[in-house]
Amino acid sequence: MAYHSPYRAPPHINAPPDQSFLWNIFQRVDKDRSGVISDSELQQALSNGTWTPFNPVTVRSIISMFDRENKGGVNFNEFAGVWKYITDWQNIFRTYDRDNSGFIDKNELKQALTGFGYRLSDQFYGTLIDKFDRQRKGQVAFDDFIQCCIVLQRLTDVFRRYDTDQDGWIQVSYEQYLSMVFNVV
Amino acid sequence: MAYPGYGAPPGGFPAGMQQDPLYGYFSAVAGQDGQITADELQACLTQSGISGTYKPFSLETCRLMINMLDRDMSGTMGFNEFRDLWQALNGWKGTFVSFDRDQSGTIEGQELQQAIRTLGYNLSPQAMNCIMMRYSNHGKIPFDDFVSCSVKLRALTDQFRRRDTNQSGGALFQYDDFIQVTMSV
Repeated sequence: MAYHSPYRAPPHINAPPDQSFLWNIFQRVDKDRSGVISDSELQQALSNGTWTPFNPVTVRSIISMFDRENKGGVNFNEFAGVWKYITDWQNIFRTYDRDNSGFIDKNELKQALTGFGYRLSDQFYGTLIDKFDRQRKGQVAFDDFIQCCIVLQRLTDVFRRYDTDQDGWIQVSYEQYLSMVFNVV
Repeated sequence: MAYPGYGAPPGGFPAGMQQDPLYGYFSAVAGQDGQITADELQACLTQSGISGTYKPFSLETCRLMINMLDRDMSGTMGFNEFRDLWQALNGWKGTFVSFDRDQSGTIEGQELQQAIRTLGYNLSPQAMNCIMMRYSNHGKIPFDDFVSCSVKLRALTDQFRRRDTNQSGGALFQYDDFIQVTMSV
């Protein structure tokens, strides 16, 4: 009854990008030429398809994923990881946005998460949309879709840490449960 | 194991829904189906002035409130649930006000810990730390965030208690269930 590890994009789904190509992008995004791309610089460079700013919480999550020095931004080396991460998500989003609306609706979200290995009730997808949809459209835009998947991943990671025998069950005390969860949701 | 109470003050409501001022606020926003959404709840609570001199509740906090009492995962709230919520809110407000001695609209980090203890939650330092990290904004917690935290604590406690079938203080979670329960809060 083991649970699947949620989907990670297979390596080399795109050919690794050209260094000078990446460097061009980096320079354009690093507006103040500090050599480090900050949260706000990354946010301005990303589009969620709605003409509203990219979810700042998602921007923070992405930067902190790749910022190895806790400096609050990413340098050129780290940026390669950011670029690939975002490109992978763009591909996933395009794959599941079957009607090409630029948004992922409840059914498409169900396809995507089931594809990643999650087994969730039908009603729950409605809950997820409600929780993450910042545009109040009843569907998730690109940034909110990423945010939803990031939180699901974090919860899975926290669950795994407690599931020492990997059987998909954990036994926790009330205190442990609160500590596990308040960190994530 | 004894679970904490909700800190709500005693006292009932006048007999007969029609004379109930709460029913007035509720029916002003509810449609024919007698249910309200997060947006409508926000309007309703703002109208009622329950926040007093504090800023009205954010939409996110209202969404959390609906989820806290939403047994059928419909994303809406009926009048009876609204009444339960009202009681809880008054309790939480009372606690907050007693700690906001300078009436600044915020309480300090330490006071949050004490307030949570006042609500009946006896948490470990680690659990408290997680909560503090999540809610403390430069050491200050505004009323809306305090309510948000209280709602989550209550909702998570309810979820945990339902799985602690022999009242031992420990609960068993299966992975899929864990994800849904935790994300629904």
